Order: sequence, then C-alpha cells, then structure tokens
Amino acid sequence: MTQTKARVPSTTEVPVRVVDSDVHPVARPGAVAEYVPDKWRKFLFSHPVGDTINYDAPDYAHAFAMRVDAFPEDGGFPGSDPDLMFKQLIVEAGSDIAILEPSSKQTIIPEATAAMATATNEWLANHWLDSTNNWHQRWRGSICAAIEDPRSAVAEIEKWAGHPYMSQILIKAEPRPAWGDPQYDPVWAAATKHDITVSCHLSRGNYETMPMPPVGFPSYNHDFMVTYSLLAANQVMSLIFDGVFDRFPTLRVVLVEHAFTWILPLMWRMDAIYAARKSWMSIKRKPSEYVKDHLKFTTQPLDYPEDKTELSRALEWMEAEKILLFSSDYPHWTFDDPKWLLKHLPEHAREAVMFKNGIETYKLPTTVPAVESQTRVW
Amino acid sequence: MSGDPPRLAQGREHVVATLDEIPPGGFKVVPIGRHGVGVYNVGGTFYAIANYCPHEGGPLCKGRARGRTVVDENVPGDAVMVRDREFIYCPWHQWGFELATGTTAVKPEWSIRTYPVRVVGNDVLVTA
Amino acid sequence: MLIDASVHIFCRDNKDFRSFLREPYASRGIPDYEMDWYGAPGGEYLSSAHGPDGQYPGSDPDLVGAHVFEYADIAILHPMTRGTLPDRHLTTAVLAAHNEMMVTRWLDHDARYRGTIRVNPEDLPGALREIEKYSGHPQVVQIGIPLQSRELYGKPQFWPLWEAAEAAGLPVAVHIESGQGIGYPPTPSGHPRTYEHYLGFMALNYVYHLMNMIAEGVFERFSGLKVVFADGAADFLTPFTWRMDTFGRPHLEQTPWAPRMPSDYLPGHVYFVQGSLDGPVGPDIDFAGEWLSFTGKDAMVLFGSSYPHFQNNSADALPSALPAEHRDRLLWRNAAELYGISVPEGANS
Repeated sequence: MTQTKARVPSTTEVPVRVVDSDVHPVARPGAVAEYVPDKWRKFLFSHPVGDTINYDAPDYAHAFAMRVDAFPEDGGFPGSDPDLMFKQLIVEAGSDIAILEPSSKQTIIPEATAAMATATNEWLANHWLDSTNNWHQRWRGSICAAIEDPRSAVAEIEKWAGHPYMSQILIKAEPRPAWGDPQYDPVWAAATKHDITVSCHLSRGNYETMPMPPVGFPSYNHDFMVTYSLLAANQVMSLIFDGVFDRFPTLRVVLVEHAFTWILPLMWRMDAIYAARKSWMSIKRKPSEYVKDHLKFTTQPLDYPEDKTELSRALEWMEAEKILLFSSDYPHWTFDDPKWLLKHLPEHAREAVMFKNGIETYKLPTTVPAVESQTRVW
Repeated sequence: MSGDPPRLAQGREHVVATLDEIPPGGFKVVPIGRHGVGVYNVGGTFYAIANYCPHEGGPLCKGRARGRTVVDENVPGDAVMVRDREFIYCPWHQWGFELATGTTAVKPEWSIRTYPVRVVGNDVLVTA
Repeated sequence: MLIDASVHIFCRDNKDFRSFLREPYASRGIPDYEMDWYGAPGGEYLSSAHGPDGQYPGSDPDLVGAHVFEYADIAILHPMTRGTLPDRHLTTAVLAAHNEMMVTRWLDHDARYRGTIRVNPEDLPGALREIEKYSGHPQVVQIGIPLQSRELYGKPQFWPLWEAAEAAGLPVAVHIESGQGIGYPPTPSGHPRTYEHYLGFMALNYVYHLMNMIAEGVFERFSGLKVVFADGAADFLTPFTWRMDTFGRPHLEQTPWAPRMPSDYLPGHVYFVQGSLDGPVGPDIDFAGEWLSFTGKDAMVLFGSSYPHFQNNSADALPSALPAEHRDRLLWRNAAELYGISVPEGANS
C-alpha cells in the first residue's frame, strides 16, 4: 500500500452501488484471545491445537481454501490485513460496503462458545470498525451470537445494538435443534426488538454439528460442500413450519453462502405440503410467502448451468429481486467478482440484488465517501 | 501505479526474457496486452499463456503450476500426480489449464489463449 | 397408456407376514410397519385403502388392482417392510419374506404387476443371493433398498451390490423404509418438530447419496447401473447439479476416478418417481414443461401414485402446461424404457 497521506474520508460522496454481504476479516494470532473473559481462558487456550481441517479445499496445503493472491506480504492469513482487503475488495473489485463476518470459535460448551462470541465482537469493534480502521466508512460488522446459549446471545445483541457500524446479528446453523425450537425465541425477540437482521454463515463443527447428514458422511470436499445447502434448506423448513415468522412477524433472516437456487423447488415443495396438510398445520400463511417476506440469500457462490438462460428463468421464477443479496466471500477461494456476478442477473433485478436489498436489510446509507481509483462495477 | 514496466504492444514478437531469467520450473509475467502473458519453462520447453482466467477474470499466473491427478490403483490412495508443472491452476477457483494448449480434457471449450514461444540464442521470444 | 411406477404393498397382518418367515426368524421380535415418530397424523394411508374386512392397506391384490388398474396399465410394486434392523440377518429374512409374498401373491396372480425385490445393503451376501434368486423372474423389474443408511451409497462397501444389479440388468430403487429401524435422525439438525417438516426434508436425503455416488465414480465404474430415487423430489436435482458442476472442475484433482463433469453422469443413470408433491406450483406451473427439461429431468421422471399413501398422486393432477411429449415420458415412456416393458404400437397417454 503506497498511500502515505492521512486516512481521512473524502468529502465527495458516491452512491452505494455494490453492497457485499459476505466478507471475512481474520484476527491476527492472539488478537481475539485478549478479549476472552478470564473464566474461559484456561478452557480455551490451555492446550495447543493445530489445524483441524477435513474436507479440504483444492490445493489446501498451499492455498488454505483462500484466493492465492490474497495473502498479505507480512505472512499473515488472508483477511488479516485491513489495508490489503481495502485494496483488493473495495478498490480493485469495487464493493462499496462490505459486511464483515468473522468466524467465531465453536466449542462443545455453549457458555464457552458464547465467551468466544463476546471476544470476537470486541475484537471486531476495536480492530475493524473503529474510526482508525474504518476511516473510509466501508466496513460494517456482525454481532456474533452463540445461538445455543440464548441468554448470552440476547446479552450480546443488547450490548451492540445501536453501534453505528454493527449491521446484523450472526448465528450458526449447525447447532441442534433447528431454529424453530422455542428455546431460541429470546434471540428472535431481541433481534426484532432492535429491528436487526439475523444472518447465518455456513460453518462446520464436529460429529453431529459437522453437520452430520442423516444418511452418512460425504467422502470429499466436493460432495460435502455441495450437499451443505441441505442444512440451510432444513433450517428454512424449521423456521417456516415451526411458526417462527408467525411469532415474530418482523424477523428478517439471511442465509449466507448456502447457495440459493434450491429455494425455488423448496418453495414449491413446502407449498404442496401446505396444500395437502393445511388442516393439520397451525401456520397462518403459505410457506413461499414467508420466504419472500422474511428470508434472503446471498448470491455467492453462484451455481449455474451450462445454459445460462436456465439460470435466468430460475431467477425470474423465484423473484430473485426480492430475495437475493450480492456477496463476494472475499478472501475465500470461492470468491465471486461483482462485475462477473452482475452479468448473470436479469436487468430488472440488478439494482435490488447489487445494493437496494442490502441497504434495506442492513440499514445502510445510500452514499459513502468516495475512494480514489475505485473500480466502479456499474 | 508508479514503477510498473511499460506495456508491450500486442500483435508482434517480443524478446521477453533471457534464458537464465526463466530456469526450468520458473516463469515470468510480461506486460503484453491488458492482463499480461505468463511465460513458463517446463523442463526446458517454453509456453506462454494469457494471464487471465476465463472463469471470473482471476490473475491466472499468480496460481501454482503443478501436474494433474490420475487414478493408480497400485499406490496408497489410488491416485498419483503426473506431468508435474505442465498445468497452471487459477489462484481463485483452482481451475486447471494445460500450459501447452490452454485447456483441459474435461471442458475443452473453456480455454485460455496461448502464444508461440521460441528461443533464439539466449533470448526467449513470444508472439502475442 | 400409463405405468404407475410406485405402488406400495404390505402383508395382510402379522400372522400372514410370519407365515412367510422360516424359523428361527419366525419367532423373532420384529417391529410393525408403522413409524412411531414420523407417521402422518391423521393416518399414513388413504381411508379408502383399508379393506372392507379390515385388510391392511395395500395388502390385497384384487382390491389394489381394482383401484390402480382403473388408470394404469402396469403397476410397479415396491414392498414396504419393517425397518433396517440391527441384526442384518433378520432384516434379510424379513425382506425375503416380503419378496416371496410379492412374487407368489401378486406377480404370479396378475401379469399387470411388476415387482421390486427388496435387498439389504448391510448384508451383501444375502443381497446377492436374493438378486440371483429372482433376477430371472419375468415380472421382476428392479431391486429396492432403503434411503436410510449409515453410509452413503457411493462408498466401496456397496459396490458389489451395484455390480450385481448391473449384471442382472436391474435398476436399483431407493425409497424411505417404513418400520422402526435403527439409524440417524432424519435431518442434519436432528429431529423435526412437525410431520410436515419431516415430509418436506426426508426425501431430499437422496441428494447426499447421489452426489457421493457421482464423486466416487460409481457411474464411471458401473456404466450400466441405473438408480431410481423413488421418493420423488426430482426438482432438487437441478439446483444441486448446477452446484456440483460449478465445483466440478476444481475438485477433479481430488477425485480422478470421476473425471467427467458431474452432470455428464446423470443421463441414463438417474431416475425419479414423480409424486403428488413434485413439480412447480402456483403461477410457476405454467412453466412446468420448461422446468422439466432442465437437467434432462424429462427423461428421468416416472409417474408414481405411492398408493396407498395419503399423498396419492393422480395423472389428473399433472399440469396442463406439460407438452405432450413430456406427458408421455412421465406417464409411461420413461418407465417402459427403464423397465423393459413392451408397449402396444401407437400407445399414447
């Protein structure tokens, strides 16, 4: 980074044309540990643990599931250098606002997982969202919440609601039971009380939180990452069939990086079941209506057929402009470039998917301070 | 961006390097065309390929050159890598391309421009 | 012309069932057909399917025939049994009893019935024995295995089963097994709270099996193998194939035994029963034909009523938007080709 002048935001504003709903900041070694409450430090840090990778992405020993060109020169991990991220994502790729989604450590004890979420939130606020590191006002953050410990999840939401740069709550899909269980109601209550969107980024755990498929473990990263979407599909069915959106009619949920083209046949399937079983069900609306009003999906990684017109048709039938949010997943290897993604959207859906839905979902401004030499995607 | 070398004009032959600049296993990205051209020395044979992945426009030559995997049921794991360094893999989505042809068997229609390379004396020349 | 690719049959009662078992299995404890936690509230079966003398739904060939042959020319029978039991020998004996019941009571009784021979993937020698016994029967058209499993069907422990099915020229149908078997909870989040959620998700488990079979190169190794996912949900093939293909190229280096793009392995290998919950609904129904052509699904779908289950499908429910050629394929042509059923000249729907 050759910029030597003071990091002061430009006085010129540019319209927000690309909201990037999935970006990964990574802590430098030890940076999150600083913020872990004393009670849990011994539990979490008393024994060294190496890499825990299984279902490894291609060339993992060299690329570590990252874009190979996203490794900072100081030897840090991709996503650990805010300046490099700014250069590659904001300036070169052209995302205008990036929703930062850190990965918070999952443990087998809910309270310990909650402690990690607490620490991750402090770290993010102090190292990315503060006025020094967010001088350009392009970063927004996530309030990590351990869904399996609803009491502490609520406490985190209460603590960070109102922070100018925290734009969503971030939960995981892997813990059991599925989200429709009433034990999670306090979390939805806190989210809707403060009118903050709840997002879920795919993760992975161990054993039953792998997530363990009902019929056996995939063999390779290929079948693993493809079938991962079934967990999200299951959570959608739970939210809808278990009546979460009836109990919380203003709740908004975003599924991040779980793919989305499957929602089209899932809406049909749920509606067919509703039509056949209505007399046995207590939900008030047709399932697809809940999807359109309460759920959104990020676009990356875009799954597409050989014949792109099939994708266009599917996007039309699912009313993509109502349910999609652009995302890049920088700096992961499955990164989608915004210019590339834009080409695949039907014209009438572009504004909604690339920025309007994002502005609404995350309560973002419509303009941001200009950045020198930024690629304008469109 | 100060310090970048001037771009070479397209459509003609250029001396892009001396032999010792690109030893076997090495490569050099030269500023021809919009994205540049990667010149690779694979066991003494030179190849030149556009530094641009046709998938999403990734910087191809930032990726790792290596071989490809084939089935071999006589070894543990039932697979071996063959033809080391004859393929370049995009640093973004790890799409592999054969340096000699710019393509692979699985999807020949997704290919990258390759360019003629010749060695004259100590010079490596690329027509791009 | 219409072929019903999925009619489920049962024994009349436990006395009847045990009459097809030999000792020591006739004296074993065996669960009944119903699933405790996942049976449908209000009943699993059409009320009209219960016999006038209390016969178990789907247990009387004449009663079933009176219903099914009103609309179908041929019915593919798929016996439901008593779960994947911990004792694989017992499971095999239970399946063999149902196979014998099906062949002697149904296939030998009426030429319009075709049969699915149930085998146990956890007992390969027993399964191969059963295939050998029945593969020559002119009305046996496929092998049947449960959707529930503790390992995915692409893995090598199942390869001898695919080899035998391929050698016998018989497709393998995968269907949710009834009864109180052992296994894992039906969703990746554990147990669903409602039956409707179970109904929505359970059939989708085929996606795990299919993607694993593709990545493991099963269709490369067994080029004649045909698999029928008999609980439907063919619609999900399209988005998941798009995803499998999108990530096909980067993973070639990890799975060299599956060197082609994943979607290349589908034609001629993968089929689906199309039931009452399948296909576009609402305004999208106008595009049912277009959607069906995606991913070549029009060549894969087989009309199945799932009689006597409550979600009974009827040909009348098919969208009018389906082009005639798709209708023909769905209602009989795909099944006729798959199962080698000869069809009168000039047949149409």
